[in-house]
Amino acid sequence: MTNTMHRLAWSTARLLPIVALIVAWEIFARSGAVTPFMLPAPSAVAERIYDDALDGDLFINIAVTLYRALIGFAIATVGGVVLGTAMARNTAARWFFDPIISVGFPMPKIAFLPVIILWLGLYDVSKITMVVLDAIFPVVTATIAGIAGVEKELLWSARNMGAKDREMLWQILLPAALPQILTGLQVALPIALIVVVVTEMQMGGYGLGGAMMQASRFANSRGVFAGIVEIAVIGYALVAAMAVLRRRLLAWHQEAQEGAGV
Amino acid sequence: MSDAAQIIVEDVCHHYRPSVGREVLALENVSLEVREREFLALLGPSGCGKSTLLYLIGGFLPIESGKVLVDDKPVAGPGPDRGIVFQNFALFPWKTVRKNVLYGLERQPLRREEREKRAQAFIDLVGLTGFEESYPSQLSGGMKQRAAIARTLAFDPRMLLMDEPFGALDAQTRSLMQSELLAIWEKTRKTVIFVTHDVHEAVFLAERVAVMSARPGRIKTIVDTRFDKADPEIHRTKMFVDKVDEVWNLVREEAIKALEKRLS
Amino acid sequence: MSDGLAPKAAASNALVRYAPLLFLALAWEAASRLHLVSSLALPPLTDVAQAWVELVQSGELVTNGLSSLYRAEAGLALAIVVGGALGIFMASSRLANAMLGPLVELFYPMPKSALIPVTVLWLGFGDGSKILLIFLGCMLPVTIGAYNGARGSDRHLIWSARSMGAHRLRMIWDVVVPSALPEFLNGVRTALALSFILLVSSELIVSRQGFGYLIGYLGANGSYEAMFAVVLTVAFTGFLADRVFQFVVMVLLRWRE
Repeated sequence: MTNTMHRLAWSTARLLPIVALIVAWEIFARSGAVTPFMLPAPSAVAERIYDDALDGDLFINIAVTLYRALIGFAIATVGGVVLGTAMARNTAARWFFDPIISVGFPMPKIAFLPVIILWLGLYDVSKITMVVLDAIFPVVTATIAGIAGVEKELLWSARNMGAKDREMLWQILLPAALPQILTGLQVALPIALIVVVVTEMQMGGYGLGGAMMQASRFANSRGVFAGIVEIAVIGYALVAAMAVLRRRLLAWHQEAQEGAGV
Repeated sequence: MSDAAQIIVEDVCHHYRPSVGREVLALENVSLEVREREFLALLGPSGCGKSTLLYLIGGFLPIESGKVLVDDKPVAGPGPDRGIVFQNFALFPWKTVRKNVLYGLERQPLRREEREKRAQAFIDLVGLTGFEESYPSQLSGGMKQRAAIARTLAFDPRMLLMDEPFGALDAQTRSLMQSELLAIWEKTRKTVIFVTHDVHEAVFLAERVAVMSARPGRIKTIVDTRFDKADPEIHRTKMFVDKVDEVWNLVREEAIKALEKRLS
Repeated sequence: MSDGLAPKAAASNALVRYAPLLFLALAWEAASRLHLVSSLALPPLTDVAQAWVELVQSGELVTNGLSSLYRAEAGLALAIVVGGALGIFMASSRLANAMLGPLVELFYPMPKSALIPVTVLWLGFGDGSKILLIFLGCMLPVTIGAYNGARGSDRHLIWSARSMGAHRLRMIWDVVVPSALPEFLNGVRTALALSFILLVSSELIVSRQGFGYLIGYLGANGSYEAMFAVVLTVAFTGFLADRVFQFVVMVLLRWRE
């Protein structure tokens, strides 16, 4: 089998269990063992998604949710890398922020949502703030680990060749720390999505979370399941996009080389 | 060929300060002179501080006490006059071989075409023609070390500091690289300080071998190892074998002392 | 040679390490008392502490707290057992891996908070829906941890065990489980943090009991000092749980350097 054929066959084989699951779901839903309320059939859910798409709701909700999640993620990325870099290179910064990061990381920061709402109101600002608050921690931790893990020989070689401080940061430290920083970002992105959905459920309004909560209040189980499918697809797409980005950016990295080298 | 001392190390002491535990005296009153264009090996058992001494000359570690002079000026930090080559290659993994070699050149006052020419010349010199666009992760150990050597030679440092550069290579590659390094040195004739724990390697490559004592490191003896290295059968000549014996005996005492220290 | 730190040195080390938090607490108190910020939005820390004491005394904090912790524990326990078994099963059977692998990969990136409405739809506002939510949401990290851990078993360790006469089941117990433990525990740690997030999220939105409910109720009532008190309690409970877990891991993995 040629390489492309092989890959095609492999991808199809991996889809099989998913297809099987959907078929099983359909059969089970229609069988009468559970009410259509408890478990709407995939066909009914698909219909609902289609209707949403037709009257535009689907796209508005997806756009709004994505907007909030991605803005929050972007701020967390920039802020996290800046803070992580500062902490890795400056002892005072490290001393001050270390307990905050260390204690804050395992805290369910979503508990602060009512406080954030109290301070910042019920609009996008508080949702995005909550996302940043949650997503920034893995980025900071990964950046610190990445920068601290740069081999001293790399730094010494660069200095040896005459590199100055500013060049060291942008040309050596950050590229060398990139694999680990990207891993942190890959952790932060799903967190951003989880948090956005929760804030939307709490505050209502537009967005996938708000729509699902709405459907739930009206006991519209099709709507609830439609929401799950939509969010699952978005989540999957974002994670896949991040993986592709990682492969592109790290084409040079060890892991990308499979079977290469002597 | 000048006989003046290019590098002067005088009564240098250095402590090793780990983040946990007590500090340890790594070097004790080390004094050494290296002449211009000379190939000197620093040989000693593990932990004797030979790499530390190299790093002090390179300016990577601060000088606690004593003097380190290069061209009559005290060492104030790392710089392109003293090119370094590390055991783990220290190639920038996100740059191709060509970009790695160009990195040092970019900091020299050269025109663009001049830089590209020089880079290619040194890539060819170390035998990596055709691999300019490869990433380090795609190269074998020997090839990586050649790239590292090309990179350091390209920006034309006055001297080469080499820290067990062939230590991470298998025995066969190591042997090939030694011959190649010697060939390159004969062509470029730079001052080289070569750190190693391998007696054969030191005697084969260097003109003088400085044997260091076990920790705290001192220069124990300096042995003259100048002879005609062009002979391909040199490893079997009586002169060579005797020399290796002589040096090995000096090192062996220190190696035993070092081992006893570790076990105590 | 490194000496262990004497207890006094360790204590003063901890003090230095956590000092910034002390400064923040002082800054909080000062900012609030000096009206640098509205004391409505940020009640003084001492008032919050007092409200906390009152909540404990009235029993509200404890009742709701226990309810929350019960839900989280139950859901997490189920997730660990089922998730772990699933992971090991997938690691030991190529068929299982082929069938279940794509499903795990499909569901892993889904934001688990999306399950909140459906669990409420099925099981209402009470304990059941929260436990189900946490079970479903926390299962996958454990599965992946168990799977990676079991797969990573050093072949040579297994061969050594076999050549010394261990039969299959014994070998799984003696070799596979201990070498899978670190990765598995890492997955559990992620699940632990996730359980708190899902617990608080669902209780904030749809609950009549528990920490999250209490926060919402106090906030709606305007009792901000008490609300802050509960928020901090929840936050620190999550932190403590993680620290305790890390300690347990350290004990279990004593043999690692």
